[in-house]
Amino acid sequence: MRRQLALIHFALGGLQRRASKSVALVLGLTLVVGLFGSTLLLTDALRREYELLADRMPDLTVQRLVAGRPSLIPEATALMIDDIPTVRDVEARVWGYYFFTAIESNVTILGTERDGESLDVAVEDGRLPRAGNEVAIGNGLADLLGLRVGDEMGIPLGTEVVFSEVVGVFGDDSSIRSADLIVARPAHARVLLGMAEGWATDLAIDLTTQDEAAVVAEHIAERMEGARVLDRRLLRRTYELTFDTRGGLMALLLVPALAAFLLLAWERLSGLGDAEQREIGVLKAVGWATSDVLLARIWESVVIATLGAVSGLGLAYVYVFFLGAPGLSDALLGWSNLRPAMQLAPAIDPLQAFSLLGAVIVPFVAVSVVPAWRAAMIDPDRAMRGGR
Amino acid sequence: MGSRRLLALGIGVVLCAAVLTSVLVHAAKRRSVRAGQRAHGALVDATGMTDLALSSSARWLRHPSLSEPGAATADLPSSLDVDPAGALIGPPTEILRSGAPAPADGVQR
Repeated sequence: MRRQLALIHFALGGLQRRASKSVALVLGLTLVVGLFGSTLLLTDALRREYELLADRMPDLTVQRLVAGRPSLIPEATALMIDDIPTVRDVEARVWGYYFFTAIESNVTILGTERDGESLDVAVEDGRLPRAGNEVAIGNGLADLLGLRVGDEMGIPLGTEVVFSEVVGVFGDDSSIRSADLIVARPAHARVLLGMAEGWATDLAIDLTTQDEAAVVAEHIAERMEGARVLDRRLLRRTYELTFDTRGGLMALLLVPALAAFLLLAWERLSGLGDAEQREIGVLKAVGWATSDVLLARIWESVVIATLGAVSGLGLAYVYVFFLGAPGLSDALLGWSNLRPAMQLAPAIDPLQAFSLLGAVIVPFVAVSVVPAWRAAMIDPDRAMRGGR
Repeated sequence: MGSRRLLALGIGVVLCAAVLTSVLVHAAKRRSVRAGQRAHGALVDATGMTDLALSSSARWLRHPSLSEPGAATADLPSSLDVDPAGALIGPPTEILRSGAPAPADGVQR
């Protein structure tokens, strides 16, 4: 123990003597881990947020394809499906998109007959629509249009403007799902979407048991021409993959991080300066064993890697969960004007934290072993004379 | 001098542990706050949709789970992929493959 403390003490002295180099290495690692960590924390938090409520999707969603595109479904189709065994409920949903020219953004218009006090908690200010032309809107949309509860919202449809009464505004809490929503009663949603009575966007099917989903999907395909049946389990699995680091910008973001890390590793491998060589020569001349020199060098790397990795993780965490990842989310989420408030719950747990730290510290220390060994094997006489 | 270096190391270790503990404790606290937020669940119950409103630049970015299998260039002319949000939310290839009508006899899927 005392020997290790003495070696750590010497290693710290070495870092102090090469202060600028040590600080540069720590800062470099902090940056790499910060960049890598923030994308990891952000995507993990998004994936977790989706998974939290993925089980509340309909067991099956049925679309109708015409010429390879989803088309409206006659509401009567629901009657052809609800007598299939294990089908508990079929709901013909009315929803779609509307391009708001004033704010140059797409909004999602959704009709629902569900209401009641238990569901009104979805709305931070006001309530869900219960009748007529009432609507509840996302706070992103409300902010852009400057609307509050009690205001009237005019939506241009052709040559007319259809007015809706804003009775509720969704809050920051649920902004990640509701920022661009306009929720209305189905009849009013039809007006806003230009959908005729008797037609639906898709069918949401609730089953008595999810295990029968594949069988029910086959039945539906037989009964309905052009049916496209989506299984909830598949949708869930897709989301698990959706935020994975895939091609495009995410990978591009990681390339500089990887390059910087390799540069650091290369720096560690690239050998010793004259001063360091002389120092090792003196140490060996006064009786230090090869293993002592090796250990002292490894301790230096451990200190640098730990400091860099932990501060990088801390920085990434603050950046994503306190500051809302400005810049990164702008870069990733594109030109859409409607942005949700990034109030995400972190997914990071001790295992993930230590895995991330280990993924940085272990390779960094590992690549430092080779130069450490080369340094330790140096001939003291030649080292002190500055030879190689 | 020696004890000062070891003291600095001790402070460094304590700071690292403090940063890690703060991150983990804050994350756990925020998860528990999130678990208590009923707005999300009520919204999903009212609308039946769970997709995240991260980007409304394209339909498959807004509703990856309900996007269409055909018409890759439906959202922007000649655009198969919509960047930069398209780099975060990949095209849901599995969804696009699934749910196709059963193939006719003799037709390979």
